[in-house]
Amino acid sequence: MMKNSQVTVTKEIADDNYFYLRSCIRQNFFPGAEKVFLDILKNKLGKNIIDNANHISCTGIGYHSDIVPYETYQAMVARQFALMTEQGLKNAAVSCITSYGGYNEVMKTWKEFPEEEAKARKNLKNATGRRFEIPENISHSCDIIYKFRHDIAELAQYKLINKQTGKPLRIVDHIGCHYAKIFPEKGIGGAEQNTVLSAIVEAWGGQSVDYPERRHCCGFGFRHYLVKNNRSYSISNSKKKFESMEPYCPDMIITNCPGCNMFLDKWQYALAKIEGKTYSGDKNGIPVLSYEELAGLVLGYNPWDIGLQMHQVDVEPLLKKMRFDYNPDEKYLDAGGKFMGQPEFTGCLP
Amino acid sequence: MTEKRNIAIIGAGIAGQEAASVLAGLGYKVTLLEKQERMGGMLNKWSKLFPDFSSSQQILDTVQVSANKNLSVICNADISSITKENGRFELSDNSSLKVYADLVLLATGYNLFDATLKEEYGYGVFENVITSVDFEKVHKSGKKLTTLLGKEPRRVAIIHCVGSRDAKSGNTYCSKVCCITGVKQAIEVTRMWPDCEVFNFYMDLRLYGSKYDSLYLEAQKHHKVQFIRGRLSEISERQDKGLQLKAEDTLQGRPLRMNADIVILLVGMEACEQNADLCRNNTLDLDENRFFKSKNIHYARNISTQPGIFMAGSCICPMSVNETLESSRSAAFLVDKSFRSVQVEE
Amino acid sequence: MRTLMQRLGEDVRLKEGLHACMSCGICTAVCPAAEYFEYDPRSIVVTVQSGNEAKIRKLIESDTIWMCGQCMSCKPRCPRNNCPGLIISVLRRVSQETGAFVKSRLGRQQYLILKTIGTNILETGYCVFPASVVPETHPEQGDVWRWIYQNKEAVYERVGANLDKEGPGAMRKIDRENLNELERIFAESGGNSFFSTIVKFSRAYAKESGFTDADGEPDMEKYTDFLLNEDNDEK
Repeated sequence: MMKNSQVTVTKEIADDNYFYLRSCIRQNFFPGAEKVFLDILKNKLGKNIIDNANHISCTGIGYHSDIVPYETYQAMVARQFALMTEQGLKNAAVSCITSYGGYNEVMKTWKEFPEEEAKARKNLKNATGRRFEIPENISHSCDIIYKFRHDIAELAQYKLINKQTGKPLRIVDHIGCHYAKIFPEKGIGGAEQNTVLSAIVEAWGGQSVDYPERRHCCGFGFRHYLVKNNRSYSISNSKKKFESMEPYCPDMIITNCPGCNMFLDKWQYALAKIEGKTYSGDKNGIPVLSYEELAGLVLGYNPWDIGLQMHQVDVEPLLKKMRFDYNPDEKYLDAGGKFMGQPEFTGCLP
Repeated sequence: MTEKRNIAIIGAGIAGQEAASVLAGLGYKVTLLEKQERMGGMLNKWSKLFPDFSSSQQILDTVQVSANKNLSVICNADISSITKENGRFELSDNSSLKVYADLVLLATGYNLFDATLKEEYGYGVFENVITSVDFEKVHKSGKKLTTLLGKEPRRVAIIHCVGSRDAKSGNTYCSKVCCITGVKQAIEVTRMWPDCEVFNFYMDLRLYGSKYDSLYLEAQKHHKVQFIRGRLSEISERQDKGLQLKAEDTLQGRPLRMNADIVILLVGMEACEQNADLCRNNTLDLDENRFFKSKNIHYARNISTQPGIFMAGSCICPMSVNETLESSRSAAFLVDKSFRSVQVEE
Repeated sequence: MRTLMQRLGEDVRLKEGLHACMSCGICTAVCPAAEYFEYDPRSIVVTVQSGNEAKIRKLIESDTIWMCGQCMSCKPRCPRNNCPGLIISVLRRVSQETGAFVKSRLGRQQYLILKTIGTNILETGYCVFPASVVPETHPEQGDVWRWIYQNKEAVYERVGANLDKEGPGAMRKIDRENLNELERIFAESGGNSFFSTIVKFSRAYAKESGFTDADGEPDMEKYTDFLLNEDNDEK
């Protein structure tokens, strides 16, 4: 078990007054996760977090697929900082791992090469008239959940316990590469024995389970997923992870990266289509949840309010293990209570 | 005249003891200070020595000194300060001990790299990952190396450069003795378990000693030890507590994944942390690798940057046993020479 | 004319990513692309380190530099604090600036990425948005996504998103004023001219390869079709 990090990474995580920076992929595939994150911060933890309508994509996916040059990326990051500055906020709460790595990369460049910062300031000012101050704190939203994990545990209505067996849920984690590999000091526990998710899991009563390919990439690979002909790279890397997890019979996968969350969910389905098998011992597959979604469950949110019906691998088997009080009949009802139709099937194998 | 001269030697490993017996033999008053309870230092941790598999105990016995009219030995003396007043050095530890001397010889030795810092190898987390020093302990006990579950290992991997030549570990220098130690330990593993496959993962095989290449040849020819040129990137643990290794076979230009039952990490030699303390209130200096800096690395290797303080052994840089002993005798010679030149001046 | 090495050196990321390589292979060891392709980040670093123009030219004209997945798993391991992934980014930039990218199959795909992600960014302010993930071209997204896609408005509303509407919230409409700022940033910082460069070289290659309309001008629809279907066995 990779529980106790030998090299302590002490990273400062701001306590309050955040500027929320959304993720393209998370909004697209798991909008409920961002919704519940904001709700937990505001209404359960009593924090001030601003959701500003003017912020745009950081263009990180374009940057890492090499169509957006670094100067442009820096100016886009500068614009996010300018919006924060204008709102009088100094703490960024970042939803996306690619952005998180990107903001840190830009900050590092500016520190070492002040002429790059000057260029970004000039580009931003000429283009928009905006000015910015460097944020005091940049935290990923998983850092913030990590920081308040014990507060959440105190408010919890559910523990990560398999009520059918009485044992802790067995949970494997996948840390998005750009969370701590680019700058190990920016991730809780560092690059090698990262603890940001395992500490959350354990604080809420679950069991964090190690597996050999824990540090391997999910396989997004930017251009490897974006171009249809290249996707075999992406699925092969995810498969490698599933094969590595399989013997440990995990009850679920927790991720901190929106892209990884999506890929680990969808590729299980695609692999089942190709190979006719799952890695979970059942037809459903291993449910994949983000830390916000898991926090939502622990705090007793209605799973359909927080968007868990948008996952391909069905979360209901997990809810049943937790003896979660929910109404399966509401899964596909719209905001007005009207049936929206439903997917042809959920899970991996029919 | 020599009996009027006091010399303090810090460290009673083989370097300190060898210099002590030379200098006491010449008639100087020598005080040998050892921070541990007993003398012998790091060599106490070793079982057999490269390149001839002779016993380290034999060396320890050979250099062993005992107190006499010219030599006093003080153990449990963790010297943390050296100052010079009125032409004499005052050495003190954190308690009430004070030792005065005309000259000081540093023989403080080295520390072993803390392998837990190399987190990607999982030492201290995965129980089948051990260090070269752990292996020596097993060898010394006379037992055979087994897995955590007490089983015979089918495959052992020996990893070079752990904490050496590595900016991430803060040690960019070569620790020099690890390559040949890896060859020696590979042979020792196959002697314990003739059917066990042994792989050495190295970056550059730096077998600098005159008989070291023949040991390499022996390892390959008679023990079927395999050498892979590629630095180990990560170790992870499998469900059966076996280990999964990732490296590149750089001579093939292909990534390589391998399972092993036991991994031995060849931990490098580091400068002692206390070295920095000893540099306070005098002009002693450390080099870029935190070892004591020589006045000149060619002709004054044993002479520090503080007049009157000399150095012996692996407090100067990583050294093998034979180099350490030669270094001590050389230091003793220079100490004696310096006293004599002072006498001439007088 | 600047040499390729000069061009590479002008990018600050080369200074950040390349100190000196001792060819230990620790990067290739964990590289997902090295496991999947005939690909070796170590040797790319060695080539750039050599400064050999002919070798670097060959490299930026090859498929090789496009195999990296930008996961940066190489970065935390290097004993010399190099970052092969960052060096790759610089090679890719120079490959596109000089038009070398059209000489390799994987390089040519930059035009496809520009047409999808580039267009998404400029037109919507998002790298991806629900309407862009069309189930027919994304079969891996599965039946649940198909259902979401077909019932976008209701599903996003149900989970508290603000799809295509004014104000804050997930998948909100980015208003014109913000998109104008985005455009001006791209114009000011070189993003637009970079886009144009990719288009310019892709058009020239399309024309050269016979993807033309009745007037002999490049037919980029035909070219796009060609790129979408160009696989390993081609050429």
